[in-house]
Amino acid sequence: MKDLKHLIFFENLLLEANNELVQKAQADGNICVAYACENTPEPLLNLPGCFSARLRAPRTGSLDISTYYMTSFLCEYSRALLERAIEGGYNFADAVITPDGCSMMNRCIENMELLNTLGKGKDKFFFEYMEIPMKADDNGLNLYVVQCRNHILKPLSEKYGIDISDEAIRKAIADHNRVCELIRAIGDFRKEENPRITGYEFNVITLATYVAPKYLLLDKLEETLEELKTREPDEKNAFRARVLVVGSEVDDTDFVKLIEDAGAYVCADRFCYGSLPGRNPIILNDEEDPLTQICRAYMNRGECPRYMNTDKMDHRRIYVDELAKEYKADGIIYQQMKFCDPWAYEKMMGSTILRNTYGYPVLSVDRPYSIGVSGQMTTRVQAFVESIEIKKIQRGDANG
Amino acid sequence: MATFLHVIKVIVIVIAALFALTFTVYIFNLDMKLTAAIYPWLNKQYDKVKRDQHL
Amino acid sequence: MAKEIGADRLGDFYKEGSLVRKRREWRGLADTMYDYSRWLKIMMTLGKFVLKPRNVKAMFRYRWMANYLAVPMMVDRHTQGLRGEYLRICHEEQDLVIDDVAKLLDSLFRGDRRIGNDKKFSDKVVLVDENEMTAVMMGFPTLKCLSRETPSTYVSVLLNQYAACHYIDVAQEYGLAGDVCPMPEAEAGVSIDDDAPILGACAIQCNTTCDGSLLGNGVISQRLEKENGIPVFQLAAPLRHREDDVQEYAAQEIRNAIAFIEKHTGVKWDWKAYFECAKRVNYATECRQEWLEMNRTPYPQVFGSNLALYTETNYMAICGRVAAFEKADKKITKLARQAYAKKKMAAKEYRHRAIVWGVQSHYYMDFLVWLLNCWGIVPLTDMLSMVSTKKLVTEDTPENREQAIYDMAWLTENMIMRNRTHGGYKVLLDELWEFVEMFNADMVILWEHMSCKALDGMHGLFEEKAREKGIPLVWVSHDLFDPRIISRQGVRDQINSFMRTVFNEEPIDPSLEVLPDEKSW
Repeated sequence: MKDLKHLIFFENLLLEANNELVQKAQADGNICVAYACENTPEPLLNLPGCFSARLRAPRTGSLDISTYYMTSFLCEYSRALLERAIEGGYNFADAVITPDGCSMMNRCIENMELLNTLGKGKDKFFFEYMEIPMKADDNGLNLYVVQCRNHILKPLSEKYGIDISDEAIRKAIADHNRVCELIRAIGDFRKEENPRITGYEFNVITLATYVAPKYLLLDKLEETLEELKTREPDEKNAFRARVLVVGSEVDDTDFVKLIEDAGAYVCADRFCYGSLPGRNPIILNDEEDPLTQICRAYMNRGECPRYMNTDKMDHRRIYVDELAKEYKADGIIYQQMKFCDPWAYEKMMGSTILRNTYGYPVLSVDRPYSIGVSGQMTTRVQAFVESIEIKKIQRGDANG
Repeated sequence: MATFLHVIKVIVIVIAALFALTFTVYIFNLDMKLTAAIYPWLNKQYDKVKRDQHL
Repeated sequence: MAKEIGADRLGDFYKEGSLVRKRREWRGLADTMYDYSRWLKIMMTLGKFVLKPRNVKAMFRYRWMANYLAVPMMVDRHTQGLRGEYLRICHEEQDLVIDDVAKLLDSLFRGDRRIGNDKKFSDKVVLVDENEMTAVMMGFPTLKCLSRETPSTYVSVLLNQYAACHYIDVAQEYGLAGDVCPMPEAEAGVSIDDDAPILGACAIQCNTTCDGSLLGNGVISQRLEKENGIPVFQLAAPLRHREDDVQEYAAQEIRNAIAFIEKHTGVKWDWKAYFECAKRVNYATECRQEWLEMNRTPYPQVFGSNLALYTETNYMAICGRVAAFEKADKKITKLARQAYAKKKMAAKEYRHRAIVWGVQSHYYMDFLVWLLNCWGIVPLTDMLSMVSTKKLVTEDTPENREQAIYDMAWLTENMIMRNRTHGGYKVLLDELWEFVEMFNADMVILWEHMSCKALDGMHGLFEEKAREKGIPLVWVSHDLFDPRIISRQGVRDQINSFMRTVFNEEPIDPSLEVLPDEKSW
């Protein structure tokens, strides 16, 4: 296939947390609100005058200092973020807002605060921690609304004078939805039998929407969508199987690349930092206040294993089944970042249930934050692809 | 009177014997030594129990 | 064989490769006779328990029941070296806990579909988590609040250090990562291994201490709800429990939980019973505060595992619902006052006053007694004993009924351990140093439960603060339920080398420094 025109641009945005567009948006007079957990309602961090940047630690090397502060038993994502913060890699941020999504993220941000790693020379800089619901119900919704008001809107307004009116929130949602619609439309090409976009390319584009100000990305996203409409896929599909990747935080595009290099096309991304459900548009009505509607949307669509009520737990597996059908996945890869407690359990439950109850071939793996070139992982994915092929032959539906 | 004394004597002897027995068990930890001998056998028993092992 | 405290070489009681010890201690005539009488009482409790055929049946069905063979030894481990009031305080607590657990087991097997199958009884049972605050049951005096995980894993590991290993392995065979906390992992393993009694009208689960605990419940409820048909309510207590803006949410969760129990049991909430329990909770709090107050002086009385294990049971599992614990509180306080007036000491020498922080190694709960006997370190208090001291409202008025909901919510948020592992760094990090000052401690023993992410995440800052304050801090690593990762001797060695290299001290009882207890219960 011909290279996507803006792929290198998107890839470059992922090389540094303080990327070119973050710098440009700040130069435009916007403040940068950093966050780490997918349960932070993103549109509220993108009100007029501010923009969100989800924290990553690209090109992570040694984790020595953060391992001293948090031991080697915390997940590498939380350690990599702290290490980068200690190195001064997030000094561009004007605020950090984080929910107690999991203990490790909470401790990571607390360490950043206590070690004074951020906010140097920024008088108005603040850290905010917030409670978020663990169940999707009316009580949880009330909590979500109160917490967003007290820990996102109030400090943004008081410290930086950000407009937090309903109109401003509705505008932020409209902008957010535009990006989501574009990502959705681009992602839909993955449903094709011989897709015109690779999982890796899609992963790069999606990731960029989390780490760069959205208003500066819109034109490139629109152009990419247009380009894809006429892009010709290679005549022969290079992939031997289609897989849906499910699981914990993945902001390392090498992981998707490794899977695809091993012969499996990543047709859908149900992971933290992925597009499903992270890039679902938020549909608003005119009657109810937009804050409540955002919170409800985040609460209802959340697939994070921290949600503990039975309906939510069941839905996590139902949703994976729905996605596998919609994106025509031959198999499912459940991945978990090493030491992630929530996904350790969900990986066990999900992989067993999807295999035994729903009948999918499932590969269950744990991985480091930054995978690089892992021979072990490649071998496992290759073996998984072969097992899917064998099943296809046994079913008699292989074309070879 | 003699019968009464006899009964008392028997009771005292029984209590003393019981005390001697239980105190010996207590101080030499014989109760625990016995259960320690039973424990491996019980564990083998559990391996034979039919279980519906699943998530 | 000696009457005096510290005259025995306590290490000599151990036997290489044996599950049990060579013999029991001679503590002088009065104390030995007292200990013997309490041993007889425990044997009678156990005898009464096995007289019921259903309990014998359960003994052969549930693997974890074998651990209950070691009950007398658990008491021996905790009473090691103790004399006088300390011995009596320990027995008051331990024997009551044993009695309570025996009743719990008996009730579980009575309602268990596999064993007693008493359906009428089972319909009055509400299942709760092992590590769950039972405040929400304070107004249901006619219902039985039972935890399956308490006897199958929590108490089992206290009895036998290897008790959870089988279940940990089962969970890992099903794909659970080996780096999660072994406690919820073992509880999930019990469920997967089909080794939990099946009973109850409904169950209340709670996001207790950590992410692992929350997710482990998901494994258990899968089987409980879908296979056994027992409806489950997940009570979500807020994590940032010190914040005002989460309290309404917490209160509503309590209201919802009560409504759920009422719906599934047909029993109505009883305010009179609630306020009675609240009075007992307040009394337990007063007693605990008085003990802690004594521990601030040179003559601490209720400390170490005497404080830790009892607080855990009384504060959380009992929560004012059992009158016998109020009596025990009274007796313990009386004994403590008596010993305090006489300026008595639990060991022949007190060298260091320590605050024990973090999550203790469950397979080595008697480590605190060892600290005292081996090195003369007085564990003044521990993290799990530093729980809520808030007074509950006790008078039945309309306003107080509303406040009571918030009180129950507060207690639920402030369960043991979760009140420190959640709620931000202040409750875990900052308050430790406040307690060090308050108790006039000269060292901190910091348990590093390897798979407890909330604690591990503060590792470096604990050290930095200790250096800043000039307080010696010793890390003691362990894996909570799994002695295969770090053995009991491995735990002791961390203290031994610290005491020798940093403090340049010799042990008070050298026979305890290295113990052949690797195979022991």
